[in-house]
Amino acid sequence: MKFEDLPVDATRAGAVLLVLAVAFLFSPLFVRPPAATLVLFEVGVLFLLYALVLVGLNLQFGHTGLVNFGPVAFFAVGGYVAAIVTANDPYGAVGLGLPWPVGLAAGVVVAVVLGALIGASTLRLRDDFLAIVTLAVAEIVHGLIVTVRDVTGGSNGLQNVPRPIAATTGGGGAGELFATVLVFGALAVLFYGLFHRLSASPYGRVLRAIRADEQVTETLGKRVFRYKFVVFVYGAAVAGLAGALLVFYNGAAAPGFFTINVTVIVWIGMLIGGAGNDRGVLGGLAIIMGFQLATRFLNEQLPVITPDQFASVRLMLIGLLLMVIIKYRPEGIWGDADELGVES
Amino acid sequence: MALPLAQEIIFGLVIGSYIALGAIGFTLVYGLVNMINFAHGEFVTIGAYVGFLSIQIAGLPLPVALVVTFFGTAVIGWAIARVTFEPMNDAGAVPLLLMSIGLGLVLRNLIRLVAGAGGRDVQVGVATYRFEDLGFFVTSQQLFIVGVTLLVVLVLHLFLSRTMLGIAMRATAGNEDLALVSGIDTRRVRNVVWLAAAGLAGVAGILLAVAQEASATVGFGQLLLMITAAILGGAGSPYGAVAGSYLLGIGIAVSVAFLPAGVTAFGSTMAFVVLILVLLVRPGGLVNAEVRTT
Repeated sequence: MKFEDLPVDATRAGAVLLVLAVAFLFSPLFVRPPAATLVLFEVGVLFLLYALVLVGLNLQFGHTGLVNFGPVAFFAVGGYVAAIVTANDPYGAVGLGLPWPVGLAAGVVVAVVLGALIGASTLRLRDDFLAIVTLAVAEIVHGLIVTVRDVTGGSNGLQNVPRPIAATTGGGGAGELFATVLVFGALAVLFYGLFHRLSASPYGRVLRAIRADEQVTETLGKRVFRYKFVVFVYGAAVAGLAGALLVFYNGAAAPGFFTINVTVIVWIGMLIGGAGNDRGVLGGLAIIMGFQLATRFLNEQLPVITPDQFASVRLMLIGLLLMVIIKYRPEGIWGDADELGVES
Repeated sequence: MALPLAQEIIFGLVIGSYIALGAIGFTLVYGLVNMINFAHGEFVTIGAYVGFLSIQIAGLPLPVALVVTFFGTAVIGWAIARVTFEPMNDAGAVPLLLMSIGLGLVLRNLIRLVAGAGGRDVQVGVATYRFEDLGFFVTSQQLFIVGVTLLVVLVLHLFLSRTMLGIAMRATAGNEDLALVSGIDTRRVRNVVWLAAAGLAGVAGILLAVAQEASATVGFGQLLLMITAAILGGAGSPYGAVAGSYLLGIGIAVSVAFLPAGVTAFGSTMAFVVLILVLLVRPGGLVNAEVRTT
């Protein structure tokens, strides 16, 4: 059987899982995983949120060829808007104290608006301009978060954000982690399924045609700009959703959650797995996050190197990995070199 | 208000000079190699450290150190490009751009690992010339920085307009295939571009090291400003890049001085807002370069 076609439809599976996860949340049942596995659950939560961002990014870059270097901008905007709308009297910041569903919706909507603004202004320009603008927007968003201290709490962040999952499981700890992984996992499967359906449909075929040759696609009567615009906004929306979920999981928003590292990890995961292969990119994300987890343990074993030096070494290795992939296996592990139009 | 303005313009010229030296190289690479080099900031950083070594360790006088830095960084940058970018020159814009991001990560953290996280001061004697009746002052350092940059721009202009190699470079930037069939060795041209781009970035680096300090992120901090200036001027045009850099530098200095504190707290964030506005209103920049897809 090919890696691509397992018998279960991910959209349906995701929807069923989500219902089950919510039912589990409101049931008196709870699962408390053993303490030794907690670090895996913690990384798992982050993996699932990054997977949401990656699903959108893969539609943008993998299928359509849009070079979005600022997924973290939408992730951060979604998170901070959700935090500002829902926080109760945060210290030194603005909090409207509205219920969390409103915050979730607001986070997604603002991320969509930002995506629409960037898309409308840049998608008509050469491909590489989008890369610069999205990178610049990510910097602007990060700069604004740090400088508009009175609203965002600056580098201290924004506390007292509601934690809906923790509330139903009766406080934090292992039980909450398990429930969070369940809910986020269901959402990740659901969105994976939705975006996979989209890219497998005739719509997705047009997207790949745009990636291969915009002008030919335009000549065939497809409105290239509209396709690119819609895809860009979809990606922004799902990244915004992921950001809002992160904030509701943490109960706080802080600049440290939304650094350029998010962009780097998600991009490298996509390139390792093979851009355009919906399942492959998630495998790539698992590889790079597993690498990070493994090196974290390694650092604890090697006290000779200071954590600061170790951070440099790790980033160097990640950069080297990126260079090696681009040079020797540009289609990634599971990607299709012919379809991506690359040669190794 | 007129008098402090002169002072702010001097600061702006200095800021613009650092940006210009970096932006020229960035835009030359963009025009000739057809790639956005996100590792260009690291060339600036390398220059800062070569400058630090030649002034503080080898004890060279500043003008000699400047020449050493130019050639040293040029060769280092060229060698790096030779190994990383040149073999995949035909791969297209996006793989090259991703390659440069990986390279930037590697270089930045390698420098940080070797040189340490802290900055290094470079000590150079500074004289201050005050014009009390006009209400502003200039330091010898500021004059030196702006002077070096203007000299570089002049030499670059003579090179591009009066030498065969410079003319070949402009031809290659215009249309690489046509240049190739007219007998121009485009590979040699690309070598020269990498040498020049890295060398000029090195000069920006040593000037930054002298005026501020040499640190692992000194170049990366300038990168988005250099990109903004290059696009403001018109991507691929070295003259546009110089004009864009000084506009940006003076714009930053004057807005910091005269806008209310609340706005200037945004600092260089404003530069990126400018970048996006330029792309919205006039994506071709000052010289109106061709940037639309169709």
